[in-house]
Amino acid sequence: MIRFFVVFLLLLAVLFGLELTPWAQQWFVEPWTASLATISTSLVTLFDGSVHASGKVISSMKSGFAVSIEAGCNGVEATIVLVAAMLAFPSPWKHRLLGLAAGIVAVQGLNVVRVISLFYLGQWNRDVFEWAHLYVWQALIMLDVLVVWLVWVRTLPAAPRSGNPPAPPATGAPAAA
Amino acid sequence: MSGVAAPIPLGRFVLHVLAWLPVTFAVWYLAAPVIVWPAALLAEAVARLCFGDLVRAVEQSGATLAFITSLRPGQAVAGGVVTVEANTLLFSFGLPMFVALTLAAREPHWPRALAIGYVALVPAIAWGIEADFLKNIAIMSSRGVASQTGFSAFQREVIVFAYQFGSLILPAVAPAIAWVLTHRAFLERVRTAAR
Repeated sequence: MIRFFVVFLLLLAVLFGLELTPWAQQWFVEPWTASLATISTSLVTLFDGSVHASGKVISSMKSGFAVSIEAGCNGVEATIVLVAAMLAFPSPWKHRLLGLAAGIVAVQGLNVVRVISLFYLGQWNRDVFEWAHLYVWQALIMLDVLVVWLVWVRTLPAAPRSGNPPAPPATGAPAAA
Repeated sequence: MSGVAAPIPLGRFVLHVLAWLPVTFAVWYLAAPVIVWPAALLAEAVARLCFGDLVRAVEQSGATLAFITSLRPGQAVAGGVVTVEANTLLFSFGLPMFVALTLAAREPHWPRALAIGYVALVPAIAWGIEADFLKNIAIMSSRGVASQTGFSAFQREVIVFAYQFGSLILPAVAPAIAWVLTHRAFLERVRTAAR
């Protein structure tokens, strides 16, 4: 467990440091955030045609309200935490890659819900918007990361216990899955 | 204790966490001045110890911490000093998440886990407050004020990283780490539930 946390914190610091570089901002974070705005707007226009996205800004032509998706709300940091946690935990690479693919979709899926909900909360009540934006959704997204990680950990094959003798060879009976 | 504990259904655990969150958030918000007081005290101690020449006093009002600096706002304001406020809620919203996770896990010795987690999270909250203060005086203030701090270009880069890490990563990740470390037996039962 100690090794896991040391590797996790190192990966977290390195990945977060990389994210802050101008190169990563230009080629990864900004396109990622613009895509998030586009996806969120595409979903919203299914029931509200007055909404459009421009870069990382989502705005309503009806109310004039607009939100800009900034660092902390684009899900990049949450994804970095998930990536660091899955890479740090001892597991086969196949499980890591599958977990990362499914986990990133799960985290970003909830992040789309966050962006859309904040967009409408902001038009309804600014105080509620601030509360949800600054505190509640931050905690919920991290809870999502934690739950995704727990679900992934559950799917991992059991590690052989050190010190135990190896299993006897099969004698014709089917092996337990 | 002996024997194998019952496995944990993850779905039920998540529902319990979601049920606890409104309660823990309400308590955290209403009791914030008391809850963040140790972190505010630590942030003040660090500010006085490391930046004593910049900080004259630190005052807490509710969940807001005001750093009264020795920096002058400019020649136009004779005798005035720069005061920087930090909203401690921004760096402590992980506390209600940690408490909700702990209460939902229903482990024996949960009060001890709460106490350990709280003590572990105080420095993380203080980090955010301190970095926010430094960011405000060294990065966000006018050139005239920032130049009085005497920070080098490298130190300003470190402050930016410390602030970003302390506001975007630590407040949410530190409670998750504290919870995992204080619930290792629970996590093992979560794993075995799938087998």
